[in-house]
Amino acid sequence: MNTTKMRFIDRALGLPGAVALLCLAAVFPIFVSDSYALHFLWKILFWAVVASAWNIAGGYAGQFSLGHAAFFGIGAYASTILFVRFGVSPWWGMLVGGVLAALASVVLARLTLRLKGPFFALATIAFAEVLRIVVVNARDLTGGSQGISIPFKPALETLIFSGRTPYVYTMLILLAAVILLTFLIQRSWFGFSLLALREDEDAAETLGVDTVAMKIVATGISAFLTAIAGVLYAQYILLIEPVTVMGLDFSIQVAVISIIGGMASPVGPLLGALLMVPLSEYLRAEFGGSFQGLYLIIYGALLMVMVIFMPQGLVSAIRQPRSTWARICSISGYQRKRIRRADHA
Amino acid sequence: MGTIVVQLIISGILMGMVYALVSVGLTLIFGVSRIINFAHGDFVMVAMYAGYLLNQYWGIDPYLGIFIVAPGMFLFGLAIAYVIVRPIIGAPQVAQIFATLGLGLVLQNCALFYFGADFRSVTSIVSGKTFRTMGLSFPVASLVAFAVAVLVVIALYLYLRYSYTGKAMRAVAQDRRAASLMSINVSKIDFLTFGLGSACAGIAGALLLPLMPVYPSVGLNLVIIAFVIVVLGGMGSLWGALIGGIVIGLIENLSAFYIGSDMRQIAYFIVFLLVLLVRPVGLFGVKGSERVGE
Repeated sequence: MNTTKMRFIDRALGLPGAVALLCLAAVFPIFVSDSYALHFLWKILFWAVVASAWNIAGGYAGQFSLGHAAFFGIGAYASTILFVRFGVSPWWGMLVGGVLAALASVVLARLTLRLKGPFFALATIAFAEVLRIVVVNARDLTGGSQGISIPFKPALETLIFSGRTPYVYTMLILLAAVILLTFLIQRSWFGFSLLALREDEDAAETLGVDTVAMKIVATGISAFLTAIAGVLYAQYILLIEPVTVMGLDFSIQVAVISIIGGMASPVGPLLGALLMVPLSEYLRAEFGGSFQGLYLIIYGALLMVMVIFMPQGLVSAIRQPRSTWARICSISGYQRKRIRRADHA
Repeated sequence: MGTIVVQLIISGILMGMVYALVSVGLTLIFGVSRIINFAHGDFVMVAMYAGYLLNQYWGIDPYLGIFIVAPGMFLFGLAIAYVIVRPIIGAPQVAQIFATLGLGLVLQNCALFYFGADFRSVTSIVSGKTFRTMGLSFPVASLVAFAVAVLVVIALYLYLRYSYTGKAMRAVAQDRRAASLMSINVSKIDFLTFGLGSACAGIAGALLLPLMPVYPSVGLNLVIIAFVIVVLGGMGSLWGALIGGIVIGLIENLSAFYIGSDMRQIAYFIVFLLVLLVRPVGLFGVKGSERVGE
């Protein structure tokens, strides 16, 4: 591949590409006022936000959490309980929920510091499930498994709006902030330490990286941002239930979007959301009624295919098409191309 | 009071043994191939539905069905190992976790697609019968499940200990490269292990069928229990899985009785987190096994 083409791809997948996509999303509501289209855009932005937040802990620090629903739920429940029972504005709820989620992530990080990969993932599942069961059982405060519905009082202060456009813009601002933060992290000493930690923890430690602090800070930031997304979700959907906001499905979906898009890349989660949200929406609309669960079959199959053939996600597959192709060939047993190349050499 | 406690303890042990059988499959696959199969619970679910179909269409008793379901699940495991597990052995962790997670999603929703979300149960020859002695009573189905599970675990132990292939499996578990240098066909062993692990899940599914209803997401609950057991007993350890299964069975039964059935899940999750915190290698785990996957 020639260098101009490579530079173009680098830009498209870097800051310029992200800015272009965000601008596109920003002008979209000016031309389109269809309520469903705006809801669809909101959904893409929402999943891009939570997947980007996951990416900071999962992609950069290599902490493959399957318990992000815990942080999301803490944010949503903290602000909703404050808002519905005590009349506190969700703006404060964001702060309270974010800080609570960050504290919970510190507790989780302390519990799981020594765990790697699959064990870490399991511990995070357990953590989120315990929290979900607690929420279901604390009926007086959380409304149990029925959840809490939020009264519709449109105002900037309550973060509830009568149209969908303001919702799209609040989510867009949050997404821009998260992506910008990811870029800043990537270029900072902190980001390099995280990557070092992900690649080889012992080596990073010998080089003077405080791996414990790095893990705690990365999951803390990730949890804080996830909780803020939880507050925005609650104020948009106006109903929170333990199954939807704290269930394992949510945690899996967040991780899947980030992984399919590309971990440890600022635009990866956005790409993942751009691909997966329309796909799941289409499959659900097309087959949801007649074939219950069919969209999840395709979703799961796609997940398997993606992680087997492109374990680093779409971004790195686009960046290194040749090594991706080689991987696909070697796994599927298709050898012809490689032999031919060897002949040339 | 005394009899209640004894009753609870014995029922816990009986149920724990079936959980142990589920976990043995998981721990075997992990020990040999270093693959954590997040879809293991869904394998049990597939086996349960297979037993259900055999019963519905041909009237085969679930216990007799073991002789069809277990070999069937062995072949199913081989097929899955060829298509999905082969490419992810030695792949990045994220691929290993999410490929099996995706497989679980596919299996669960295939079941939902064909069978719907209804709870289905099967009656066997021993359904509704109880065994009474000294003021205690136990469903015969759980006694049978216990006995079969014990037999299977002993057979598996003898196989691993004395047969040539079993020894090869243990060699691969200890050191893949050294095993391949000793002219052991490592990838063949990987396939075989996955098949055996799946067959264990199959037998466990057939034994669970008369004890609990089957529904598409039954595997999720089972896989979480199995993971707790495996982590408690120590990854890769057969005896650990056995002891872990019994401990979890006891915790489940006692906490359901004394604290409430909502809380039993919390009880074993807390045990799980405590074990991870205090002794991450588990009770019988080999030191350093928790670092596998780096």
